[in-house]
Amino acid sequence: MPAAYPLPTNVSPATVANTASLLRIIALALISGAAIASRLFAVINFESIIHEFDPWFNFRATKVLASEGFYAFYNWFDASAWYPLGRVVGGTVYPGLMATSSVFYNILHALNLPVDIRNICVLLAPGFSALTAWATYMFTKEMKDASAGLLAAAFIGIVPGYISRSVAGSYDNEAIAIFLLMFTFFCWIKALKLGSALFGTVAAVFYFYMVAAWGGYVFITNMIPLHALVLILMGRFTSRLYVAYSSWYAIGTLASMQVPFVGFQPVRTSEHMVALGVFGLLQIVAFAQLIRSYLSSKQFQNLLFYSVVTTGILGTFVFVGLTYKGWIAPWTGRFYSLWDTGYAKKYIPIIASVSEHQPTAWPSFFMDLQLLIFLFPAGVILCFRELRDEHVFVIIYAVMASYFAGVMVRLMLTLTPCVCVASAVAFSSLLDTYIDPAEPDVPRNPQNGGNTTLEDVVAAATANTTKPGARSAPKGIFGLDTRMIIIFNAFGMLAFFVFHCTWVTSNAYSSPSVVLASSNPDGSQHIIDDYREAYYWLRQNTPETAVVMSWWDYGYQIAGMADRPTLVDNNTWNNTHIATVGKAMASPEEIAYPILRKHDVDYVLIIFGGLIGYSGDDINKFLWMVRIAQGVWPDEIQEPNYFTPQGEYRIDERASNAMKNSLMYKMTYHRFAELFGGSGQAVDRVRNQQVPKVGPTLDYLDEAFTSENWIVRIYQVKKEDDLGRDLKSANAFSQGKKRKRSKPVSKRRAIV
Amino acid sequence: MYWRSLCASTLLLLPVVLAVDDIQAQLVDLAAAGNGLIRLNAQTYELLTTSDRNWSAAIQFTALDKRRRCEPCREFDPSWTAVAKAWAAVPKEHRDTHFFGTLDFDDGQTVFSQLGMTSAPVVYMYPPTQGLRQPASGKYNPIKYDFSNGFEAGPLAEQLSNHTPVPIPYKAPIDWARWGTYIAGFLSSLSIFRYIAPVLKSRWLWAVISILSSLIFTSGYMFTRIRNVPYSGANGNWIAGGYQNQFGQEVQVIALVYGLLAFSFLMLTIIVPYQTSAARQRLQVYLWVGIIVIIYSVLVSIFRVKNRGYPFRLFL
Repeated sequence: MPAAYPLPTNVSPATVANTASLLRIIALALISGAAIASRLFAVINFESIIHEFDPWFNFRATKVLASEGFYAFYNWFDASAWYPLGRVVGGTVYPGLMATSSVFYNILHALNLPVDIRNICVLLAPGFSALTAWATYMFTKEMKDASAGLLAAAFIGIVPGYISRSVAGSYDNEAIAIFLLMFTFFCWIKALKLGSALFGTVAAVFYFYMVAAWGGYVFITNMIPLHALVLILMGRFTSRLYVAYSSWYAIGTLASMQVPFVGFQPVRTSEHMVALGVFGLLQIVAFAQLIRSYLSSKQFQNLLFYSVVTTGILGTFVFVGLTYKGWIAPWTGRFYSLWDTGYAKKYIPIIASVSEHQPTAWPSFFMDLQLLIFLFPAGVILCFRELRDEHVFVIIYAVMASYFAGVMVRLMLTLTPCVCVASAVAFSSLLDTYIDPAEPDVPRNPQNGGNTTLEDVVAAATANTTKPGARSAPKGIFGLDTRMIIIFNAFGMLAFFVFHCTWVTSNAYSSPSVVLASSNPDGSQHIIDDYREAYYWLRQNTPETAVVMSWWDYGYQIAGMADRPTLVDNNTWNNTHIATVGKAMASPEEIAYPILRKHDVDYVLIIFGGLIGYSGDDINKFLWMVRIAQGVWPDEIQEPNYFTPQGEYRIDERASNAMKNSLMYKMTYHRFAELFGGSGQAVDRVRNQQVPKVGPTLDYLDEAFTSENWIVRIYQVKKEDDLGRDLKSANAFSQGKKRKRSKPVSKRRAIV
Repeated sequence: MYWRSLCASTLLLLPVVLAVDDIQAQLVDLAAAGNGLIRLNAQTYELLTTSDRNWSAAIQFTALDKRRRCEPCREFDPSWTAVAKAWAAVPKEHRDTHFFGTLDFDDGQTVFSQLGMTSAPVVYMYPPTQGLRQPASGKYNPIKYDFSNGFEAGPLAEQLSNHTPVPIPYKAPIDWARWGTYIAGFLSSLSIFRYIAPVLKSRWLWAVISILSSLIFTSGYMFTRIRNVPYSGANGNWIAGGYQNQFGQEVQVIALVYGLLAFSFLMLTIIVPYQTSAARQRLQVYLWVGIIVIIYSVLVSIFRVKNRGYPFRLFL
């Protein structure tokens, strides 16, 4: 056989195998190192700090778990959240993440390594990303071979789609969940391939861990049954499938019901019914197979037909009946909105208001996955070419996850592993073909002129390569230059991918969002630390029982950093309570004041980005407050009132009356014009509109604190007037006496 | 402005001094004649919205005439008529305390100008000013219906039901044509199942389906569906500005680009190695590598348009 380039021939096969496995280990170690290192941008650029919103709650819960133990954590009633209702934390939380880090914490402390709990929380996600790379390697190895596995591990190690949720400090459930997802899938594939109850059980155990860690476990709960169902429909029922599925489902479901937050949902809600239904179906099919082995085929066919029809009808009736009687809950809104995409906006505005629940435009796909996004269809085609049982899994996963990722930005995370696997299969197939030194042996066939017809080529290409005895067409690449250009091109693309990932990670995904960065005119970094400034002000200047009202986004941060009770937080379980806050913010002062007093609110905290151009502020979220309040009080709050008659959302002179009188507007622009000397030059740099010269006045609240760049403004709610007057007339009275209040001259200037 | 119009109307009506009951009886007749919906003009509008009324009213202000070229008006009118018709089925004691009206621009231009209305369709709900159902807040201003849920009859009936004495018994009509198509489609596919079974069992059919769907989904098709974005922008511009926005045409272009790139990879991996002529194979290898490089450069340059801060570029 001719070869394009010579290979050393004096190496024993054992040496080759040993060297290959050593190289694999080194490669995996390097991939883990790269995965961890690229997630540390956040720590290096800023500091070791917990990011964003939800992680602050997880961090707070972890501290409770680590310091007070598991039982105290399970029974923890957090009286400071959802004031005055409180929250049963132990029963409304997925404890997997906190349990994981407190285990690490206890181990390290047992070894006399006094590591701060915060550093464990910050570094948990990068650590687990290394494990994810390993799990993806194992999974892809089952699909193709170890070299594809290494590529997949490298891809998932640095791909921004996964980094976006797992940078250091992003201490959220997804940090460990993606590893659990991939490892559960790996165990499932292994169990299916081997028909092994052991691997089925391991899959169930990791499924349990996943259930304890992330609400997204429902993805596994539906993917595995879907895979089993498709295999049955393809006529690929085997006893291996039966063993794998039954062991996974029985143990996994019983285990998942041990998580208090999940409880009886696996047998009571529609999200889990596919798994139960497929479990029942498998039992029927297995029983039918058993009968078949004892009966003649004619008898069997009749029996099978009638029994399948009867059980099918009976089963449907049972499901319909149970759903009708309310034993099986219908789809919850959160999942239902994935199918009926208009549902959430209409009925659950809270879900629709979250930015990560928005649909995904194509640039996000390209940003998060870059070249993988177009390699991945090629990988799926290659899976179709072989179509072993495990390839069916990747195909279903690919289609389902790309739909979900299209509907919700957040679910890009579940698509990413599948894309990495499929594109690694495609890429390594390409490299395999072009690195292989063997050149094809062309039969000198005069009749055919040395050329195969197109039909031959297509037939050879689409033939199932695993099928033995297929006509083996000569296959291979001629020459060295063809090999060189393909490999050069491939490595060029991979290098571009690495540059892209590094750039995206360092620029887009490493901001803690608690601390903001801007650059000074000379290019040096300027840190904007308003959030912490304000939260520490609250912590140090207010009594511990002072209730702080803010929009729900900041609830966890206030609880975590300021340690003060909040009305609403990011655990958006009580729509009415959130709508109450929305109503208070959207109403005029006179209406809002009784609401504030009834809820014992001492301070109101708002976010304002108009001075420095920070767009994620409360005025931009204001319409959602209005919408959510309108859902509960449609007579009192109406969204169109907050627009100008022309339908514009304005905050300048032409703003609508409802807008100008709302508490949110008044608090936001209170004394804002003064900052510019009342010259009428006060421009809101987010909305790019000029604020009215005469700013709004507040009668029922007092400005208590405004942070350096005005991002956080805190107002104190006044107590009732001592003489029983309403505060507005009391104010008017005191002003009528011309008792001028001394106002400090503002020394704050806009940061350019 | 609205108050002035009300005052004016009461002043106008003073000589006639119609008792409230008479007006109501008159309205009931009008509603019965119009199948639950009163076709208003300027006069009957004043009757319906008279300042002391113990009934509520929901009025659609519209411009159905072709010359007015109000496409949304014509789109919304069937929903309005259907809801009004559903109201006619309510028992009499409730039915006569709420009225549905339609005021066309051509029938009551004066009213339109009094209300300062510049666009149509608009729906106002007038609460009763007397009786048990008058609003507790004491505000009798009409409430504007919020069209954010679209022009469908279902949400309209649901929203209006907050203001009617009893909920509007509106049920969406069964779409017989659609069900018929479904059933016919199902039956016909059953009957030809024998013939299409080999096609259904072909893995390449499923491959094409799954590849197409994942290509379409990853090019932002669901974004365009959910956000109802236009196919392309004004003056033939097909790339929407901004990183989190896109037009319908972008889905097609991007899906095509992704598909072409994936296809080139597949050609290189699957088809090219089966070439038995070295010269042809070399040509194909260079061809497909060239295509990958060029299309990838195009893709990156399109991405640079969407994301201005992107620092990398290939050959374009």
